[in-house]
Amino acid sequence: MSRVGVFVCHCGSNIAGTVDVERVAEEAGKLPGVVLATTNKYMCSAPGQQAVKDAIVEHGLDRIVIASCSPRMHEATFRKMLAGTDINPYMLEIANVREQCSWVHKEKEVGTPKAVDLVKMAVAKVNYDAPLTTTTIPVNKRALIIGGGIAGMQAALDIADAGYPVTIVEKEPSLGGKMVMLDKTFPTMDCSACICTPKMTDVGAHPNITIKTLAEVESVGGYVGNFEVTIREKAKYVDYDSCTGCGLCETKCPQKVESEFDQGLAQRRAIYRPFAQAVPAKPSIDAAHCRKLVDGKCGVCEKLCPCGSIKFDDVDKVSTETYGAIIVATGYQLIDWTKIYGEYGGGRYKDVISGLQFERLVNASGPTEGHIQRPSDNTEPKTLVIIKCVGSRDPEKGKSYCSRACCMYSAKHAHQYLDKVKDGRCYVFYMDVRAAGKGYDEFYMNTQHDGARYVRGRVSKIYNQNGKLICQGEDTLLGSQVVVEADMVVVETAMVPADDANRIGSMLGITRDKDLWLSEAHPKLRPVETNSGGIYLAGTCQGPKDIPDSVAQASAAAMKVAILFSKDELESNAMIAHSTTSLCNGCGACVSICPYTAITLEEITVRENSRMVTRPVSKVNPGLCQGCGACTVACRPGAMDLRGFTDEQIMKEVAALCQW
Amino acid sequence: MTVLQEAIRKRAAELLEAGEVVRVIAWGSGRFANQTSPLFVSAAADAEKIVFNDYCVNTLAKYALNEKVDGKIAVCVRGCDARAINRMIADNQMTRDEVYLLGVPCSGMKDRATDEVLPKCLTCTHRNPVVYDELLGEAVAEPAEEEVSGLRYSGIEAVEAMDREQRLEYFNEVFNSCIRCYACREVCPVCTCRECFVDQLRAGWQGKQNNLNENRFYNLIRVFHIGDRCIECGECARVCPMGLPLMELNRKWIKDLDELFAAGEEGLTDELDNTLGRYKTDDIEEFM
Repeated sequence: MSRVGVFVCHCGSNIAGTVDVERVAEEAGKLPGVVLATTNKYMCSAPGQQAVKDAIVEHGLDRIVIASCSPRMHEATFRKMLAGTDINPYMLEIANVREQCSWVHKEKEVGTPKAVDLVKMAVAKVNYDAPLTTTTIPVNKRALIIGGGIAGMQAALDIADAGYPVTIVEKEPSLGGKMVMLDKTFPTMDCSACICTPKMTDVGAHPNITIKTLAEVESVGGYVGNFEVTIREKAKYVDYDSCTGCGLCETKCPQKVESEFDQGLAQRRAIYRPFAQAVPAKPSIDAAHCRKLVDGKCGVCEKLCPCGSIKFDDVDKVSTETYGAIIVATGYQLIDWTKIYGEYGGGRYKDVISGLQFERLVNASGPTEGHIQRPSDNTEPKTLVIIKCVGSRDPEKGKSYCSRACCMYSAKHAHQYLDKVKDGRCYVFYMDVRAAGKGYDEFYMNTQHDGARYVRGRVSKIYNQNGKLICQGEDTLLGSQVVVEADMVVVETAMVPADDANRIGSMLGITRDKDLWLSEAHPKLRPVETNSGGIYLAGTCQGPKDIPDSVAQASAAAMKVAILFSKDELESNAMIAHSTTSLCNGCGACVSICPYTAITLEEITVRENSRMVTRPVSKVNPGLCQGCGACTVACRPGAMDLRGFTDEQIMKEVAALCQW
Repeated sequence: MTVLQEAIRKRAAELLEAGEVVRVIAWGSGRFANQTSPLFVSAAADAEKIVFNDYCVNTLAKYALNEKVDGKIAVCVRGCDARAINRMIADNQMTRDEVYLLGVPCSGMKDRATDEVLPKCLTCTHRNPVVYDELLGEAVAEPAEEEVSGLRYSGIEAVEAMDREQRLEYFNEVFNSCIRCYACREVCPVCTCRECFVDQLRAGWQGKQNNLNENRFYNLIRVFHIGDRCIECGECARVCPMGLPLMELNRKWIKDLDELFAAGEEGLTDELDNTLGRYKTDDIEEFM
């Protein structure tokens, strides 16, 4: 027979105020197996814990029930306490008589019997507790960062500075992401490149950081501390070891291609660096456009290169490496407004441009060297219309969410335009202005003082008349129609997850929300963790945010990785699923329901009915299993069971509750 | 029918003779002229015992699962048998290369007692096998696409029309009559657990008493366990000695899954669809 000790906590008046704790202890004392039932003012305090430890020795207890707050709060505390006694830390049940009882009831007559029931269930369950042990998993102290934008770079620098090797996988030819395309950053108006490119240089020069550009993560196996990651580096056709980055090849390449970096407003060559400050500062060949690679004729760059670095026979490099932690920083892209907003011309008018195109136009190193010009005829627009929330907060055609950064950067665009075009007029069509941030509202007010005219309402139609873009809309504050004859229109479009984010999310077992943003483990308390151990989120892959928030989240994720790497070994979760082979019929329901890809089917050969048979059975990877229990309820034969929450224990709890 | 019977006998004999299969599962004559039972043929000479007439009521696929032989098994498959085979392959209970499928088109079988078409055959939506290695005879006409929903769900309209109390009364009557012989489980091609939950005495899911509560528990859990994978062969209702409308329960569940998750018909391919075990971002979450 087990020897159970029940300890009921007053929690000051938190519990004792609406639960007669003495009554609860008295009732608990009558339950089978209970040899001691007592109360304490603060069970979690040092004297409270000491009282439990003393009682264990005095009464020879072999398992305990603590009736207190939610196990989320103090289960770990009491486990740690038991680690210093003769009792296994898992011979413990918490009856949640605070959050589930005293806090939700007003009268003792209601709270007390419910607390008694909760304790009855816990006692019934603790009787079937078994000692559990954890194992240790070695930690491979190398971090992988997917995405080399500002978030990825910040996380990489922080982890590398903490002394751990980091690999950045970037799908573009250079680090920098979206931030390096921007001209200035709100609200301080410091030059984006001036604060971003030094970081890129730091990353490039850091001895602990390896950069893989034009690279993709192909597959991920393993678990926290031991991820097996296969990375494909696409052929660059340039030998980076011998290339000095002199740039001669770029000047003579005859093939011109629309520049992705300049958002289609300028052209680049087929052998190119996306921009002057690119890191790595070496060119690569765009195989889809290179004349030598497409037609076999040309090869000018090869002839010119003083170092002999051009390698037309270059092939993709695929490598598999082990990492202890992964940070996903895949970022965002802008929604393709041309497909959904036919009323704005659907991309037919050259002078209706996106916010990112405006950034390139106004940028001193952009295609117009910072002169604001209409893409159609290179004249200076005298009337500019800025339309906010294009694709954001539009559940009918675009996305239901707010993209967060657009209010501020549209104020910035208006400010920059009015600054550069002294006789210009600027209209900003808006739904409302969300300027919550340090110095943000002041910045917005300044833009209004600059002369930007804010019109509350959406533009319903844009059409071309005599070279002017006629914007029809409504001023909902005046309740009247507005028509503006614009020379140029900037649409501030919604952020959506990067193309690859969904594939990477499913590969890493990260849940995605309805708009495919990657989901954090808890929106408030675990904002950079995912539900998969050792995988963290940084920047806009998790949801729209501005640069300060992305950088802050990246540093937070880096800290989580540094904490993980501060230990040589990880303790595995003791409360994990396991499968009973004799019951498992190999149907695979657990495999498809497991959110952590922790379960696989494995063939076993056993003697059954006097013959050897080979059949599949499910197997749980203890490193990957997070103990969520989804498999145990999906398992029809009842082969899957969760340690610490066995079917038997739950049945006993139900039975205890149903006894009269 | 006689032509098909001859074709089955001929191919069974040839397959056994050539050693391509070690056993053929088909139908053999029963004690009466209007009765058959599953027949397991191991020698080519015995192939002439195979019959195929209006009374081949058994769905054969599940018998293939319990054959303890080394070598391929040939199974005669109609629409129901073939879907059952797909079901068991999807559930990892067998592999496709363990069986050789003799496709047999079927226009419905008759109930020996009444000499009328069996209820399960009246609502059949796949009269030709959906998978086979060879098709014997000519394919028969399938019901038109617009008829399918009616065939599947018209049987539950009466129950759906009842109010809460009437429904409770109706099902209490049904479950009170259940004798928990578990014939419905034994015959079901979805019920392939190595130990059924009702037999797991230590876990204690199912009480031993035969009363309304325990019977209701068994029947509801049965539907929970098989509903999303049911191939609608109707064998459970056919074998029930108490004549309980077991397919009505299944079909209500299937209809709900169809409406909520566009589950479609099961057993048409051997891929695991797993309607209840997968998550899609556009799943209906009206309860959240």
